[in-house]
Amino acid sequence: MKTISFVLNGKKTSIEVDDNETLLGALRERLGITSVKEGCGIGECGTCTVLVDDEPHYSCLTLASKANGRDIKTVEYLSSSGVLHPLQEAFIKSGAVQCGYCTPGMLLCAYSLLLKNADPDARDIKEAISGNLCRCTGYIQIEEAIKNAAEICKCDR
Amino acid sequence: MLPKFASVIAKTREEALSWLSSLENPRIIAGGTDLMVKMRAGKQYSHVIDVAGVPELLTMTETDGRLSVGSAMTHARLSTSEPIIRNARSLALACGLVGSPQIRNMGTIGGNLANASPAADSIPPLLIHDAVLVLESKETRRRVPLEEVIVAPYVTSIDRKELLGSVEINPLRGYREGYRRVAKRATWAISRLGVAFAIKEDKGRFTDVKLAIGSCTPMPFRPKKVEDLLKGAEKNEAIITEAIRMALEEIKLISGIRPSYAYKLPVLKGILEEVLRG
Ligand SMILES: Cc1cc2nc3c(=O)[nH]c(=O)nc-3n(C[C@H](O)[C@H](O)[C@H](O)COP(=O)(O)OP(=O)(O)OC[C@H]3O[C@@H](n4cnc5c(N)ncnc54)[C@H](O)[C@@H]3O)c2cc1C
Ligand code: FES
Ligand code: FES
Repeated sequence: MKTISFVLNGKKTSIEVDDNETLLGALRERLGITSVKEGCGIGECGTCTVLVDDEPHYSCLTLASKANGRDIKTVEYLSSSGVLHPLQEAFIKSGAVQCGYCTPGMLLCAYSLLLKNADPDARDIKEAISGNLCRCTGYIQIEEAIKNAAEICKCDR
Repeated sequence: MLPKFASVIAKTREEALSWLSSLENPRIIAGGTDLMVKMRAGKQYSHVIDVAGVPELLTMTETDGRLSVGSAMTHARLSTSEPIIRNARSLALACGLVGSPQIRNMGTIGGNLANASPAADSIPPLLIHDAVLVLESKETRRRVPLEEVIVAPYVTSIDRKELLGSVEINPLRGYREGYRRVAKRATWAISRLGVAFAIKEDKGRFTDVKLAIGSCTPMPFRPKKVEDLLKGAEKNEAIITEAIRMALEEIKLISGIRPSYAYKLPVLKGILEEVLRG
């Protein structure tokens, strides 16, 4: 066992983890964050995406011990102030959420994109979510939602 | 679920090397994008040594005109690094095509080399830059050309007690350089074909040509005879046709005839035509 300390969704967190535990397992089983999901477990679907220092990583392929000292964000961060983030509002408005399984990962990739690029074009958006599968929407609605949210976030600046 | 193992996090190169030498059945982990998949499928080690945060493996330096790239640098960093784009454009392009954004944020160049897949995207670009790997153990330090390190598909001459510290490359300036990749789709698909090229021309002549072809033969390779044929030759359709014929012959000589070649070789011919015509 190891004790790891990291910032989770803006709050300092310390937990004990097994040496062979994944970050996905630790988040779900020890911290109850079930928005992070195991779709494939081998890096091929994106439902386990978390932000490590604001960059998307697959938590299924990340040892929990790698989170030590890092900033980890899950989708809960986006609405931690109690209101939905413009990205979340835009996903709802555009019908970008159907079964919802891919949604947390999609939102985190979109959020990370907007941090780096306030004015993404269609290619930037496609690229940003290219590591996340969606079996329902056909992606168009998701791309549209991110484009719309980017517009709103720009106005808010 | 992963098999049981103990994990240690190396803070320095020294620490990683002493663990490598003292532990019974250790395995290095960097990004984990190859190793975690293997362990999940049942591969077992007594210890996993995490080197992803070792500062010495995360630096890039320039000495005597050679560029030294730390082995734990990620594909994401390399694909956007100014010195890499300037000195090794094909490598920047190849790293930018690996896997998916998440895989590029996690996966490292050291892991890509040590895994030694015939389809590893960083290998063809590193071959045209005459890459030399710096391999260290507690007692030894050796510098070995990439060509000699990869001995068979997924097999390298890196000893279990050795750490790949850095990769040294020759910068190429003034070349038309790039990387062309063919895969079933743009993301999440291993390369069916990868071609790294760097070409210098002057007054209608090829003054230097460097080519490396991946995913075609058991190990990515440089068709050196083809390079020699083109070097100094007048640039025309006849020489390009002959060069491509030689390259395809060499592939058949290395691997025999493979079912996939009915598709791959005509595609490779097309890519080489485009690349050489420029
Ligand atoms: C979904 C998915 C898609 C992928 N797509 C591509 C692709 O398009 N192109 C491609 O080339 N690859 C691809 N890969 C493979 C993989 O991401 C790359 O090979 C990556 O560069 C491996 O780096 P890593 O740091 O994650 O390696 P790890 O998994 O950490 O390690 C891999 C191996 O290298 C050894 N190793 C690592 N660092 C060192 C070191 N410093 N010294 C000695 N040994 C070391 C480890 O012991 C292990 O055996 C993909 C993988 C996945 C899961
Ligand atoms: S569960 Fe991690 S990528 Fe599918
Ligand atoms: S909404 Fe169902 S997988 Fe994307």
